[in-house]
Amino acid sequence: MKKFGLILLMSLVAFGVLLPILWMFDTSLKTMIETAHLPPRWIAPEMSLQAYVDMFNFLPFARYTLSSLITASATTVLTLVIGSLAAFALSRFVFRGKHLFLLVMLLSQMLPGSSIIIPFFELIRDLRLFDTHVGLILVHSAVQLPFVIWLLYGFFRTIPQEVEDAALIDGCSRLEALFRVLLPLALPGLGATAIFAFLGSWNEFFFALILTSSDATQTIPVGIGLFVGEYLDVWNQMSAAAVLFSLPPLVLFLLVQRTFIKGLSAGAIK
Amino acid sequence: MRRRITPILLLLPALVFTLFVLVYPLVLNLANAFRQVSLIHGVGQWVGLKNFVRVMQDEVFWLSLKNSILYAGLGTILSMVFGLFAALLLNIKIGRITSVFKLIYTIPWVISPVVAGFAWKWILNDQSGLINHWLKQLGLISDNITWLGSADTALLCVIIARVWQFFPFAMVMFFAGLQAIPVEQYEAADVDGAKSLDKLFHITLPNLRTVTGVLLLLGLIWSFNDFNMVFVMTRGGPIQASMVLPVLVREYSFVQFNLGKGSALSILIFMVLFGLSLLYLKVYSRRESL
Repeated sequence: MKKFGLILLMSLVAFGVLLPILWMFDTSLKTMIETAHLPPRWIAPEMSLQAYVDMFNFLPFARYTLSSLITASATTVLTLVIGSLAAFALSRFVFRGKHLFLLVMLLSQMLPGSSIIIPFFELIRDLRLFDTHVGLILVHSAVQLPFVIWLLYGFFRTIPQEVEDAALIDGCSRLEALFRVLLPLALPGLGATAIFAFLGSWNEFFFALILTSSDATQTIPVGIGLFVGEYLDVWNQMSAAAVLFSLPPLVLFLLVQRTFIKGLSAGAIK
Repeated sequence: MRRRITPILLLLPALVFTLFVLVYPLVLNLANAFRQVSLIHGVGQWVGLKNFVRVMQDEVFWLSLKNSILYAGLGTILSMVFGLFAALLLNIKIGRITSVFKLIYTIPWVISPVVAGFAWKWILNDQSGLINHWLKQLGLISDNITWLGSADTALLCVIIARVWQFFPFAMVMFFAGLQAIPVEQYEAADVDGAKSLDKLFHITLPNLRTVTGVLLLLGLIWSFNDFNMVFVMTRGGPIQASMVLPVLVREYSFVQFNLGKGSALSILIFMVLFGLSLLYLKVYSRRESL
């Protein structure tokens, strides 16, 4: 009986937590007229996937998606390559300034976006990279890198040094040991880190909003964020766009939820 | 000799990026703040503290400061209260079903803040929003409330949305903290005949002290920094009633085109957050050796 009560309580909380998302999903299945129906209702006489088709005409959603994919993928690759090298150095070598470097990595995750956006903007503009994918990729990578290094450093440290020592005795160089031994062993960690880096860039709004200005380079969150409230009567299509945009994060989250939750509790995720 | 060079070479790309993300922006920002810099006319002459004085003379700055403190403070504390509640609920052993609930409760933290803001904006819509409809059905209100359109309620609504989005983080942290409490402490209390509430206040909560500290600082830092929720839901409106400092930086720099004034404000924000971050580092390095 006590167990039943608890499950009921948990279900109620779950409904409350999911309510805004459920309502958004429900709205995405409605017609535009139905979204203005009074009183609002969950089940309308006419429900379809039409909004998911119409929104491609209303927003340049295909372009936004392409930009988001390009930016997030390139950011993931760039940060993982640079991050692996750095994390390798940090976890396998003893050198001066290591402690300081780690502290700086931790500290720069706290850096307010609003206090670095103006210099970023000026630099990107002066490099003639304003409103380009490359510009946004560089900025996203710079912002994500400390966190990626921090995660990879944690994963690399769990792999015993002896495994590499064996490879070194067999005549591998340090770099070969990194690529042939350490990285393959750290593959699950690399995968999880890649997902974090991808999502970080995929969901990022502030820098993308300020550093892009045309349909061809704006990412999905910028498209949604800018149009919210501007066009008041297309709630169904906006909902459809928001649902589609949320699918990759949700799927990836389900894939790595264990690592994700562990990472969360390590206090490392923004 | 070669051994010494190798780690530096490996770190070099990361160092370049760190300089780009940390050192360069801060230096340039500092230089900007003491100059006249316009988005359109470019860099002008040195103006001393004039930009800072302009910021301080702006009523909106003081309103935004108040709002930011409220948003960060209230948002963080409420997130922690709900997070602790959810963590305690999940910690009761009733079988595998709890892991499903844990997954569901984490979802607001996973979806993009832009989507979160959008979903809340829609559900709070004054005409066809679900919230107004339900409140009317319950007889709590007779007329529709313009939640995001009136100065009294706008900031409060954004804070609620922020709590909704941020509480899962607190929950997961608290949950990990609960798992780490040694079972022996509870067993000893059982032997002494302690009641559940005694155990909560004398064993559970004291053991969560460090997690609480870390959460409070991280929550304050991140919420104080947060641009997304306010921008998506209200743009700082109506008439700047829900303006917070990060949104004001954008307003100064890219709407009023005054990069000098924007830089001055962003340095003020940085100083507040740098203090909080150092405090966090102190707590963190005590908890975990690097």
